[in-house]
Amino acid sequence: MLFALHGLAGKPGTDAPEKIVVSASRIANLADGFARTWRRPPNEQELQGLIEDYIRDEVFYREGRAAGLDRDDNVIRRRVRQKMEFLAEDMSVPEPNDEQLAAYLASNPERFRAEDHLTFRHVFLSATRRQNTIDSDSKQVASVLARADAAVDAAALGDPFLLGEEFRGVSATKVMNQFGERFAKRILAMEEGRWQGPVASGFGQHFVFISERVPGGLPPLDDIRPAVRREWANARRLEAEQKLYASLRARYEIVVEAPRERAAEAASR
Amino acid sequence: MMLRLSSISGAALAFVCVASVFATNVAAQDHTTDIGTLDKETADKAFSAKPPYSPYAGRNFPTRPYFGDTHTHTSYSMDAGAFGARLGPKDAYRFAKGEEVIASSGQRAKLSRPLDFMVVADHSDGMGFFPQLIGGDPGLLATPQGRKWYDEINSGKGAEAALDIITSFGKGQMPKGFPTPGTPAYRSAWRETIKAAEEANEPGRFTAFIGYEWTSNAGGNNLHRNIIWRDNGAKASLVEPYTTLPPLGSPNPRDLWKWMAMVEEKTGAEILALAHNGNLSNGRMFPIIESFNGKRIDREYAENRTRWEPLYEATQMKGDGETHPFLSPNDEFANYERWDKGNLDLTEVKKPEMLEFEYVRSALKNGLKMEAELGLNPYKFGLVGSTDTHTGLAAVEEDNFFGKTSSSEPSADRAMHPFVKTDKAVIMGWETTAAGYAAVWAAENTREAIFDAMKRRETYATTGPRMVVRFFGGWDFEAADANNRMPARVGYTKGVPMGGDLNNAPNGKSPSFLVAALKDPIGANLDRIQVIKGWVGKDGQTQERVYDVAVSGGRTIGADGRSRTSVGSTVDVANATWTNTIGAGEMITVWKDPDFDPALRAFYYVRVIEIPTPRWTAYDAKYFGVKMPAEVRMTTTERAYTSPIWYTP
Repeated sequence: MLFALHGLAGKPGTDAPEKIVVSASRIANLADGFARTWRRPPNEQELQGLIEDYIRDEVFYREGRAAGLDRDDNVIRRRVRQKMEFLAEDMSVPEPNDEQLAAYLASNPERFRAEDHLTFRHVFLSATRRQNTIDSDSKQVASVLARADAAVDAAALGDPFLLGEEFRGVSATKVMNQFGERFAKRILAMEEGRWQGPVASGFGQHFVFISERVPGGLPPLDDIRPAVRREWANARRLEAEQKLYASLRARYEIVVEAPRERAAEAASR
Repeated sequence: MMLRLSSISGAALAFVCVASVFATNVAAQDHTTDIGTLDKETADKAFSAKPPYSPYAGRNFPTRPYFGDTHTHTSYSMDAGAFGARLGPKDAYRFAKGEEVIASSGQRAKLSRPLDFMVVADHSDGMGFFPQLIGGDPGLLATPQGRKWYDEINSGKGAEAALDIITSFGKGQMPKGFPTPGTPAYRSAWRETIKAAEEANEPGRFTAFIGYEWTSNAGGNNLHRNIIWRDNGAKASLVEPYTTLPPLGSPNPRDLWKWMAMVEEKTGAEILALAHNGNLSNGRMFPIIESFNGKRIDREYAENRTRWEPLYEATQMKGDGETHPFLSPNDEFANYERWDKGNLDLTEVKKPEMLEFEYVRSALKNGLKMEAELGLNPYKFGLVGSTDTHTGLAAVEEDNFFGKTSSSEPSADRAMHPFVKTDKAVIMGWETTAAGYAAVWAAENTREAIFDAMKRRETYATTGPRMVVRFFGGWDFEAADANNRMPARVGYTKGVPMGGDLNNAPNGKSPSFLVAALKDPIGANLDRIQVIKGWVGKDGQTQERVYDVAVSGGRTIGADGRSRTSVGSTVDVANATWTNTIGAGEMITVWKDPDFDPALRAFYYVRVIEIPTPRWTAYDAKYFGVKMPAEVRMTTTERAYTSPIWYTP
């Protein structure tokens, strides 16, 4: 390393000297940086020092690069990569307009579809309480409920349930969280206005009366603008990063000197 | 409500009576009676005024628990980043909401069910340090330490670097250039944290809290606390997190509390703190003698601790903190997921006399004693569980455990890889616990409602399963209440919920409790429900006692309040399976303290124990086809701990 530096210093300058320009905006920049640290602007002498320091940086930076010192240094490689990624992210955050958001919503409806919401009551037959008789009890309840109308307080036919007998305006996810996935799927497919069942859960068996169903569907953009904006921005960010990388990568011919099989494998991808 | 039953056929009525016979099978031991009749009587007694026609009108009490994690670390935490975490706060919230993400190890990860809320709680010290280090910040690399860590990370020794970072941090030996509040790198990390929470927060559906962890680790002794905002980003961004490194920060909780008071006063925000891992504090988490000044805890400390720290994280990946066999020799469930070899970085080994100041139960007991002295109980906290994951993935189900750090995400050898290893002791990867979650009884899923429920301690801890646990205390609960069709309504009408207070004991009455648990809908059955009582005797000595109050499978509870018969086990370790052929899906009972003395301070909390199930190590062994050494625990008994109800004479 030392030898290399000696070599550098000893190399006679053949061409005209390179120019280092310290622009007015650069000087303002340096002064800003100072002010952020010290909470006051630099005085004349300090500013002169900053400029000198910048020139020193620049001289060494250019000479170092000319000597190829940046190439094998992980520190520099990582720094540059991080900077590029930041730039990619920066480039990706213009405010989207309504057309862009509407288009994104239309092409990704599954991300924004509101869930179905149900209001239902249930008659619960506890597997713990009824153990061996649950199946015969279930048949009896079924025959009673076949004749019952909506006004009947049917829950009293069954056992108390810790989370209650009526669930109002609950989303499909909540039903799944509280009763398990199979139960949720069954009752989401049920029609309204009559007792149906039994439906099994991890707790026992349930007869279910769905009194109201609010179908989810795709809400208008106005109702979900922040969510669409968030997803849009996230998609743009990933896309921009990918695009930038792809375009930069395309400038290189990549040769991986790996063991033969692995290289072949990589090439075939 | 019951009158309308008459409109049903006679056959149905007969059936209701038949149903009462079945009810005797329920786990509640001694007072299961006719559901139909008792219901009416209870309703008559429970409500002085006639309730509205609709039993649901005017119901504003919490009707379901919300499950979440108050403790998720992402790549913004310096140690998480060093261990290989690449997922940031945004990814962590997405995962919690039930989306599939690609874990840092490249594996696809998804929760069985979404969580209801989450706090991304990255370490305040060095927030954003890792992006800065891995980015090769010249200032950091100019230091020998920074250079060493950087080189280690780049040569695949990130885990070593991470441990060294934690250890150095514990010793207060961080290099120059370490990001501190006020620097641009720090500010931008905090801003990103806030932004991620703001974007993920969807009132009514998912709550994303703004928060961070204050990681006081003086000498490697864990005094960590998580800070949570009730408010939105507009208020949270008026300040930057409090750190532990002087001069900007401090490792002393008293200074944290001062900072919290300053934040509330200056920004109008409302915040709370909750501590965790007393088990790694080597006797300093719940002190009687303060470790920072060697003096007895004074009233000022007690006031601040109760004001700012309404909750404690009782169970998580670095072990369970309820109690310890040394402290609770008569509690056969006390030996659960113990981490008692030393402090956090294993630079100092554990001594038995430290344990009393590390665990929930002993702290609650000492709190009663100190209340007599100080006029205020410094350790009057409720309980939650949380993960403390450092992967961005709050995945702690035994069959879906994504590990404590990104280097311990699922792999064939993660169990046998040391988690911490020093010349003093070693903690193996298999000792990490797949736990836990926080359950909160809030009226709705919003920042405000959940935060307020946390403040009133209406919470419980689970080691991962989402069981529903109710616990009410009062003076008038009677056996029939256990058969009420709306236990919650009776509970709130006649008593106080978990986290509440009882006083003014009516003459000759003992406190009674309505206790209920419902298993996780996709989880294992329940073995038993217990009430743990702690009190200060007439002699000024603290006492504790475990009561079984409901047991499954027709077992009986003896005159001593215990059922010594084990529930058994259906676990097939080799195949990592179990069946719900033992235990109970639900239990409800009313329990009255048989040994109540109105002159003595006491607390009561509930512990719910599941039947044995395969531990995550069994799922790993099965999936990866590896054989675990004999010392590796392969089964677990998951559990829930509620916040206590306190009795004060």
